[in-house]
Amino acid sequence: MRLHNTIRKLRFNANEMSQQTLAEKIGVTRQTVIAIEKDKYSPSLEVAFKIALVFDIPLEQIFSYE
Amino acid sequence: MNYSLKEKGLIASLIITLIVFGDYFIDVFRSLNSTEPNQNGLMNIITVVILIAVLEAIIHSILAGVNDEVEDERDKLIERLSYRNAYWVLCVGAWFLIAQVFLDATFMPIVGLTTTPFGLANLILFAFILAEVIMFITQLYYYRKGVV
Repeated sequence: MRLHNTIRKLRFNANEMSQQTLAEKIGVTRQTVIAIEKDKYSPSLEVAFKIALVFDIPLEQIFSYE
Repeated sequence: MNYSLKEKGLIASLIITLIVFGDYFIDVFRSLNSTEPNQNGLMNIITVVILIAVLEAIIHSILAGVNDEVEDERDKLIERLSYRNAYWVLCVGAWFLIAQVFLDATFMPIVGLTTTPFGLANLILFAFILAEVIMFITQLYYYRKGVV
């Protein structure tokens, strides 16, 4: 079981939002955004909710546990 | 392979530690074999500490110039995990030395390692440096492989 996410797709749909822009909006480094996208890091609830707020969609549409 | 600035800093610190302290410990363990007192013991360790401090300061000032990223939750988590690993190494080293001193055992191959204050101090230092090296390596591992 691993945490997967659709952040890469969501960034693409948001006018190709850069990793740096997303990182600044959610208060982490670009390296952390890269790690989250590659499923190499599970973000805290706080960061997960911030990502949901940036893309304005529910949390479960971004993260899935499978 | 692409390395982040954080990883480059860790690699540099690891290399500096291994080279400087590696050279120091080779000299120390060789000198423990001789029966003559080590007159330069204190000077050597002071030199090594100053050398490490200067080299680390140079590297971190170079990296600080190009790295404008602050630490975030992932960095802090990786740091915590690495400190935990280093702690275990230090604990094993400390317990090993305590056992050696209490038992006054002599099964170490290098004469004078635990029987002289100089040898004992260097073994404690060795445990510290080993813990530091483990910290650098595990930090690099978590940055590369991820923490999930």
